[in-house]
Amino acid sequence: MSDRETVDFLAAVPLLEGRDEAELAELARVMGRRTVQAGEALWRQGGDRRELLFVVDGAVATSLQVSGGRTVEIGSAGPGQMLGEIALLDGQGHTLSVRATETTTVLALGHSDFAALLAGQRPAAFTLRRRLVAHLTARLRDQLRHLAASLGGEPATDGAPAGADLLEPSSPPDSKYVRRMATFHDFDPLALWGFLTSGKYVRCPPGQTLVAEGAPSAAYYLTINGAVEKVLVRGDRRIRVGLAGPGMAFGYESLIDGRPSPVAAITRERALLLVLPSDVFEQLFHREDAISRVFLEAIQRDLLVTLRHALRPSARLASSV
Amino acid sequence: MCRLLAYLGEPLPARSLLFDTDNSLVRQSYSPRMMNTFLNLAGFGMKAWDPTSLHADEPFTYRTTTLPTFDRNLRFFASKLAPTCLVAHVRATTYSGEGVVADTNLHPFHFPGTRVVLAHNGHLRQFPRMRFALVEHVDPALAQRIEGTTDSEWIYALILSQLDDPYGVPDTRELAEATANALRILREVRAGHGIDTSSPVNVCVSTGRSLVATRFSFDYGWYPPADEMLETDLPFVSLWYAIGGEYARRDGDWRMSGDDPPRSLIIASEPLTTDSSSWLEVPEYSMLTAELGPGGLEFETRDLDV
Repeated sequence: MSDRETVDFLAAVPLLEGRDEAELAELARVMGRRTVQAGEALWRQGGDRRELLFVVDGAVATSLQVSGGRTVEIGSAGPGQMLGEIALLDGQGHTLSVRATETTTVLALGHSDFAALLAGQRPAAFTLRRRLVAHLTARLRDQLRHLAASLGGEPATDGAPAGADLLEPSSPPDSKYVRRMATFHDFDPLALWGFLTSGKYVRCPPGQTLVAEGAPSAAYYLTINGAVEKVLVRGDRRIRVGLAGPGMAFGYESLIDGRPSPVAAITRERALLLVLPSDVFEQLFHREDAISRVFLEAIQRDLLVTLRHALRPSARLASSV
Repeated sequence: MCRLLAYLGEPLPARSLLFDTDNSLVRQSYSPRMMNTFLNLAGFGMKAWDPTSLHADEPFTYRTTTLPTFDRNLRFFASKLAPTCLVAHVRATTYSGEGVVADTNLHPFHFPGTRVVLAHNGHLRQFPRMRFALVEHVDPALAQRIEGTTDSEWIYALILSQLDDPYGVPDTRELAEATANALRILREVRAGHGIDTSSPVNVCVSTGRSLVATRFSFDYGWYPPADEMLETDLPFVSLWYAIGGEYARRDGDWRMSGDDPPRSLIIASEPLTTDSSSWLEVPEYSMLTAELGPGGLEFETRDLDV
């Protein structure tokens, strides 16, 4: 593959679309090219190899190790598709094992070069962050669709969500408390404050449906105190796909891609929430300043945690088959 | 934050659980991978049932307030013992003059004459305010046996007091009900005293034949201002399990064999290996029950709504 061909390939990757040619040429220079044979592993689940892979040609299969030493095939990826972004972004082990199913060529972008693309407040960095968030949202939807299919039936239609206007207003939390949350303690204090004052605060009792599965969400919610369950409900069967405790968010998927919410969100404990109505969400999502960066990073972190959670019930279901 | 471990299944060398893996319980005492704002240096305790031993219904007991990693006796003992059930615990306490490191505070708790043991990972915030209100819910004979200063020993006495016969061997269903009832009483007493801050109660209760474990917290997500335990409790206190056949090292990795129906279960505050791919997270707000039956291990998880 010549340098020219590599640049052309990268230009067609959705994540990098719109980058100028000089940037792509620089990227092509730092990326490693690898060819693996059919049956060869690119990495194992739990492994700590930090790189973003783009499949140039060939095909790979992804699999999940489940309790009892069994392996469940999860999916496949082919030319133009991306692998490894979850472990690269959150620094934990790979969520799935990946092996080539035929002779496969990949381009690999290392951790530090990837971090350089996201650094600073350049428009290209914001565009990349937004695309990553959209990509992770699509992956989460895909995973949740598999889980919902395993339950069968249709989403519950009762428990209409409470509008944010109907919830009890509250004063903001102590900023020292918020800064002690792992989600926020390495953020710039002024930018964090800007984000935390962008919306309004409400209190909710336990058992309150705030987002209904299959309906659009009216707002982005961030849990300050308490806990909110993200659940798939089919009759008396349910799968909890996440628990939004302090510093975790919910209700944002449909604001990102304009589609209905893939899960319901119901308070498990009484809760104090930051609520950003959809118009405020839109502004923060598309702005390119320090506050917007905090916002995008917070969503990204939340998506990564939720994706990892969503894979856990999948393992449990697989092991009971 | 303390770390607990429980095993139920076919005979397994105790050292496989306590020492051999790269995140074994003993290693978690000085190098926990999760919730690591506290080390677990305030002692080690273990109860282990071996059906081939004398008085097989009575567990082996080992307790020490010293660091288990330097304890050669424990290492020798763990190499010779292959229990069918084991409950072990490494204890953490706050880094202050209020923490009491003493033999009487070591888990698993086991009152003389009773057949149930308990290990706890968590803490009831403002426990001194509610301690004496619990007396009316605890069998007086059991209350007299409380020797230590921990909330955990009171939770143990409370669960025993919910059993029809605190000195008998309850079946799994009764043990699970007693545990859930004890949590309901704690919720009522907390409410009566206006206590509404996060208080995790991950317990493991066992008779040697059955195991009941909870991953639970009262008022999760609510903390007193300037709380020293905040960073520890912001995530829901962890609990994991692995289920299958024999737990052994295969191709360099410690894993359970994929037996169906399962024959063995390990429950632990964090996976015993750094590679957690063969472990499953116990869902938050849930109870896990297991019992060794003639057809294998009977195992269930359910939502714990108390």
